[in-house]
Amino acid sequence: MSESGAKKKGSLRELYDVFFSKSWPMWVGGILLGVGNICLFIVLKPWGASGGVKNWGDNLFNLMGGDFANMGAVNLFPYSVLCILLIMGAFAGALFSKQFALRFPPIGELFKGLFGGLLMGLGAVLGVSCTIGGFFSGWPALSMGAVVFTIGLVAGTWLAVKYLLFEINKFPKLSSGKTLSILTAGKGKGSWQPILGFVVVIIGLIIAFRYTGSSSVLAWYAAIGLYFGLVCQRSRFCVVRALREPFMSGSSKPALAVMAGILVSMFGFVVIKFMGIRGEMMWVWPHFWVPAIIGGTIFGFGMTIAGGCTVGSLWRAGEGHIKLWASIIGMMVAMPFTAKFIKPAFFDALPDSMKQMFFLPEKIGYGPAVGVFLAIMLLWYLFVKWNERTGKFSAY
Amino acid sequence: MQGDVILDCKGLSCPMPILKLAMAIKKLEVGKVLEMYGTDPGSKDDVPAWCGKTGNSLLEVVDTEDGFTFFIRREK
Repeated sequence: MSESGAKKKGSLRELYDVFFSKSWPMWVGGILLGVGNICLFIVLKPWGASGGVKNWGDNLFNLMGGDFANMGAVNLFPYSVLCILLIMGAFAGALFSKQFALRFPPIGELFKGLFGGLLMGLGAVLGVSCTIGGFFSGWPALSMGAVVFTIGLVAGTWLAVKYLLFEINKFPKLSSGKTLSILTAGKGKGSWQPILGFVVVIIGLIIAFRYTGSSSVLAWYAAIGLYFGLVCQRSRFCVVRALREPFMSGSSKPALAVMAGILVSMFGFVVIKFMGIRGEMMWVWPHFWVPAIIGGTIFGFGMTIAGGCTVGSLWRAGEGHIKLWASIIGMMVAMPFTAKFIKPAFFDALPDSMKQMFFLPEKIGYGPAVGVFLAIMLLWYLFVKWNERTGKFSAY
Repeated sequence: MQGDVILDCKGLSCPMPILKLAMAIKKLEVGKVLEMYGTDPGSKDDVPAWCGKTGNSLLEVVDTEDGFTFFIRREK
């Protein structure tokens, strides 16, 4: 009896370690997120990240007496619920693997987080997208605006890598100074973390379940948010790295991980759109091409300075990085104000031909449109692999 | 184990530890050892990958009270 008891414990422990002893390969995360994204689209709409954070900002400033957009309370707007549960999922993932700690960076880094977040908020609103809506979901939606937005992201990332190298050489003090890590699970400490991890997951599931009475959409958004957070944290899924590494280390792995997710999602999205299960124009934004290129560049610069895009900031916030909390605050401030005071004038100034919704299958049909996207991805793949071999564009 | 030069990356998150590591190694003499402190869980994957790619040796990774210490020898 005791023998089988010990054996059973060993097997469960083994199962636990499969998930939580080491990080998952990032491509595993890409595929799991790609599948989850299809589920979101079936439930309501594809994945988007910045809309949820904007909703937090809108609600906050409305509470303070402002007159900003009203998309619903934070607990009733699907993307807001998704983002909250995503942080919880990442928090749980970090706890399960004893990687959680409140990490306070040097003060200069906090400002970089905030500044990066402000830029991301500005770019996300002007470009009507972020790395998810305008890239990870935008490509599978077969939107050409998303391709332009991604070109902007790459340009912004490239500029920001140049800036970071300059900063480290000329102003090393900005990223050094007093730091603090608390609640760490170092050597022999932190056995409370996995226990709290279970509590967080159970609370997350209860939240999802409680929505079933009023809105099955919110219930699924909550559950998928929790799952996304866990997957992002365990696989350290990072769109910034996918776009940045060619200019830094030259590694192609993060780019391949994002491509894997896009490919999986594209398969599902095309079926959903082609069969008319959901609207064809979903996640095809009116940003082709000027808003996409300008917004993408600003967003790309901001996310690289902050060290995470919207989702990257959310899951790292759940892991306890205070710099990324600052980044989220920056986005919460910049998005409502940009939407109210800058975006209307910016869009009014543009002729219609510069702010189009460009759904490629509308022009050339579904088959060729998918072919075009696969060809773009093949070129991207060949570029990152060639660059990894030759180091042509990498910094070291 | 003890390093010749210390690089403190505590509290920093991706990509700062790796950028600082790349800069610090450039300033180190070949054969000397860098003792790098970190708290970002991402560094545990990134530092070995960086060493593999750049041909420097990761001699040891030690778990500490609040994070981990890497010992990296400059090879070329």
